[in-house]
Amino acid sequence: MLRINIILKYLRILFQFWSTSLSIELEYKLNLFVEILSTIGNLAGSLFVLSMFYTADNTLGGWPWHSSLIILGFYTLIESFTISFLQPNLSRIVKQVQNGTLDFVLLKPVNSQLWLSFRTFSPYGLPSLIVGIILIYIGLVKGNYYVNELSLIISFVMFICGLIILYSLWFLIASTSIWFVKIWNANEVLRSVLISGRYPISAYPLALRPILTFLLPVAFLTTVPAQALLGIAPFSLMMVGVTIAIVFFVFSINFWKYALKFYTSASS
Amino acid sequence: MPVIRVKDLSKEYLVADKQPGLIGTFRHFFSREYTSIKAVESIGFNIDRGEIVGFIGPNGAGKTTTLKMLCGLIHPTSGVVNVSGNIPSLRKYKFLKDITLVMGQKQQLIWDLPPIDSLKVNAAVYGIPDKEASYRIQELALMLDLKEELNRPVRKLSLGQRMKAELLASLLHRPSILFLDEPTLGLDVNSQLRVRDFLYNYNQKYQATIILTSHYMADITSLCKRILVIDKGQLFYDGPLAKLTQQFSPSRLVRLEFNEQINFSLLKHYGKIIKQDNYSVKLLINRNDLPQKINNLLNNFSIRDLEIADPPIEEIISKIYSNKIE
Amino acid sequence: MFKKLFTKKRSRIFNLYRVFRALFISQYALMVEYRAEIALWAISGTLPLIMLSLWSNSQAIYSFGYNPINLAHYFISAFVVRQFTAVWVMVSLEEDNLEGKISPYLLQPVPPIFRYLFSHISEQFSRLPLVLLMIFLLFLFKPNYFWLPNIGSLIISIGTIFIAFLLRFLIHWIFAMICFFTDKASSLERLLLIPYLFLSGMIAPLEAYPEQIKQFALLTPFPYILYLPSKMLSSQSFNQTINIEVLFIWIVVLSIVSVFTWRIGVKHYSAMGA
Repeated sequence: MLRINIILKYLRILFQFWSTSLSIELEYKLNLFVEILSTIGNLAGSLFVLSMFYTADNTLGGWPWHSSLIILGFYTLIESFTISFLQPNLSRIVKQVQNGTLDFVLLKPVNSQLWLSFRTFSPYGLPSLIVGIILIYIGLVKGNYYVNELSLIISFVMFICGLIILYSLWFLIASTSIWFVKIWNANEVLRSVLISGRYPISAYPLALRPILTFLLPVAFLTTVPAQALLGIAPFSLMMVGVTIAIVFFVFSINFWKYALKFYTSASS
Repeated sequence: MPVIRVKDLSKEYLVADKQPGLIGTFRHFFSREYTSIKAVESIGFNIDRGEIVGFIGPNGAGKTTTLKMLCGLIHPTSGVVNVSGNIPSLRKYKFLKDITLVMGQKQQLIWDLPPIDSLKVNAAVYGIPDKEASYRIQELALMLDLKEELNRPVRKLSLGQRMKAELLASLLHRPSILFLDEPTLGLDVNSQLRVRDFLYNYNQKYQATIILTSHYMADITSLCKRILVIDKGQLFYDGPLAKLTQQFSPSRLVRLEFNEQINFSLLKHYGKIIKQDNYSVKLLINRNDLPQKINNLLNNFSIRDLEIADPPIEEIISKIYSNKIE
Repeated sequence: MFKKLFTKKRSRIFNLYRVFRALFISQYALMVEYRAEIALWAISGTLPLIMLSLWSNSQAIYSFGYNPINLAHYFISAFVVRQFTAVWVMVSLEEDNLEGKISPYLLQPVPPIFRYLFSHISEQFSRLPLVLLMIFLLFLFKPNYFWLPNIGSLIISIGTIFIAFLLRFLIHWIFAMICFFTDKASSLERLLLIPYLFLSGMIAPLEAYPEQIKQFALLTPFPYILYLPSKMLSSQSFNQTINIEVLFIWIVVLSIVSVFTWRIGVKHYSAMGA
């Protein structure tokens, strides 16, 4: 019963957060146009580059064109999450550390990590969300893949794991702003970590694959959910994905607590 | 039973030193030397419920550090802090719902939106039901003399209006302990007065404990019965404002008006002349000799009016700041 | 008369040099203060290396006239070029605008564009040791990728890299002026990244592009920001003609446009009450 109360409280907070950020965004109308333009541009560019890999071979790391489209679809979904939540909140966190208004957050009776991670929401991730779903759909239909409910659910679970991994990585970077205060670079790092997820992991040289699976687990962001959807994901790999998601998430929580200790023992 | 108990509270910082110039920078890259700086040194005091206490001291004296240790933003290096039965640095929700921090130079209101939106966020955060929240907003807005300003974007508000809205947002959850860091910074005299009145009314109405730092002595003299003077991280004085003057100013201010024009040089051995006019003079006379000297003055001069007062508080404070008093 | 004019001019240039030196030292100190930032930077610039690892596994490279070794040279060069042509003026201008730092800059007797330009150059210098270290590590693990450009082409490359940097800086500066109108440069910055990503040769050398797209790309300024200097640095011959005239036309046009947008931007800024 108490748990439900807490969840309701946080839902109410999130609702307030997002409705306020939506009304801020609506103040700047030019942005909508720019964002739609960049979604389209990104899609065209990605498809173009992907097609270049298929000029000589008809596979990329063993993936035929249509299944690569599915990976690109998952990548676009991830990007929509990034645009909607990660990027706007990241720059906010760093700004708050910089001008000291983080103090106000720390004095609120709310989980500070939740507050900082989901304080704002940008509606401009929506075009990417739609494009991503369309890409996956086209890939499945044109590639004549048959998907049953089970693999759809498993794929969804794996995708959520991917989001958790990305979120945790991102929050780790954001936490370091307690020590190093500069917004831009952190956003850049996030962007470049992501970019390698546009293509199947098997397209990379053997030596890089373990790094992209375990160290910067890009594999679980796009390749594994796509594999799960096609029913070809190795069970052990999925288990690794779930484990990494849990470990990264727990680590991000503890790291934030650790970083806060520095903030509260050094700030003035 | 005091609400706030502080004992032997200390805070040390490690600061990296850097030599100026390119070579210094280069050296700084590879090895950093740290010096520890004592921001606060074994401070101790108790504050009772309903008290309004002013922290005063020069810049960098450790006022803000102490304030932030009291609300749990800075962890003390050593010592004990207890605020309404809680250890602040744990930042338990129960504790956080009981306090608030207002900083004159920082703001929590959302810049692009009207204050009312920020207030809704705060209501959700503190778990105040919508009805109750709108009732409290009305009540506080009345006390603060805020009306349609609540529906205008924050960036369009004047500094005074913004501060009042800021206070409203910080007090929505009805905290019983208020920490205010320079709440009147940059405000004009009128707005300062409003904020002061409001704080006094809030204190009376809810028996709230208020701790504030300010550089405007008027804030302190009109609100605080008790002050803590902090200098170089140490507690320099703790007690009523009136006593501070007695303790740190050995003299009193005597204003005399004469019936005739007199030779001012005759007054010199009575005390220090601060100001002189045709028929009047202001003298600083040592407390101990006061009755004797007044007596002599009345005997030797034809005096129309006489007034004895404490020297202005600003003077004493500035003396303390410039370390003229040991 | 002439002499007076000349000395006046010279003292102005000397003054600019002093401004540059002071900014350089302070900026360098600032960067060192944020030493972990530099490391983050280096990581964020690894896209050409990621693309290299992808392409080196693909058979397609032979079809557009590359082999694994000279492809590696191209992408490693692109990595270096990218590090030294990074531009973040939109972000810093947006920050300064929000923090109200623009007004004092406008009152100083140095055109603000130089302030940003110099701070970029000094920050890039602070990155130099780290870039060298990363290249060294790369060659350590992949000794067969090692090559040394000869002195002549190295000097020309440094020149082209600098021109590339100026070109990119001008583009960003013009876009940054829109900052003054919208307060939100971050989304525009994301938009500007797209042609840079896909047309500059970062993702694949231009030879891989279909003929029409390649011709189109060469009319935009983007290949001159990355593809051209990378080819120079990797000492590779061009098997198609690059229109140097296009580059110069762009520089002239962008310089003129940047002066105008700056004036319009400042006018708008002051009209808003600074």
